[in-house]
Amino acid sequence: MPLYICNTRAGALDGAAKTRVAQAITDIHCQVTGALASFVHAIFFEASSRWPLEDKTLSVQGTIRRGRSEQQRELIATSIQQALVSCAGVELEHTEVEIRETPASWVLEGGEIMPEPGAEDAWLAAQAARRRPYV
Amino acid sequence: MIQCTCIVQQDQAADRNRHTMHNALQQFVNDAFKSRAQITWIPVTAGDGFTAAKPSTASIVSMTAPTPLSPSRRKSLLRRLAALWRTSSGCGINEIVAVITDPT
Repeated sequence: MPLYICNTRAGALDGAAKTRVAQAITDIHCQVTGALASFVHAIFFEASSRWPLEDKTLSVQGTIRRGRSEQQRELIATSIQQALVSCAGVELEHTEVEIRETPASWVLEGGEIMPEPGAEDAWLAAQAARRRPYV
Repeated sequence: MIQCTCIVQQDQAADRNRHTMHNALQQFVNDAFKSRAQITWIPVTAGDGFTAAKPSTASIVSMTAPTPLSPSRRKSLLRRLAALWRTSSGCGINEIVAVITDPT
């Protein structure tokens, strides 16, 4: 978590464009939130009915940990939308980005319940301490 | 019926063991919630899944509890779910994202 689901019209993005978009999503999320890149997932589907495109060519539904500010969520959404234009060559009006939130305590990743936003350092330190071998 | 969604990387360990994973999830849901699971299995085409902008090996397993869960109960269930996934698929601890939501 976060999880970014990208749904495109069939053939709209080639593999290189998907790689560029995934990199941009990861960079944007980490820059805005300070989260670790290793937790950022970006997944692409083509013409999936599960994430309806409606009249768009490319839509992104991001699910992030609850607790980010409205300003952060808006910045993530607008930055990703701009990245879709620059990385995938899709016109802005044919893109859509939606950000949803889920409580960190509802998610387990890396074998541990996810930390609340802003508590990553303490969480990582606790993980490292648990894994430290006896000397 | 418990809705359960599994996003897995196509042809990787979890996807190759789909039948085993289905059975294990059914058993988990039965034990945890005394209910059946309606499993939606969503394979991600090779090259279309990324973690940290690199090709992903992660599985994302999410389900909705029938009633709101206490923090301790949810934590316990998430740990069991992740352990089950690791045991049944052979994946590593860093390759499973488990989510149990409350009902809306």
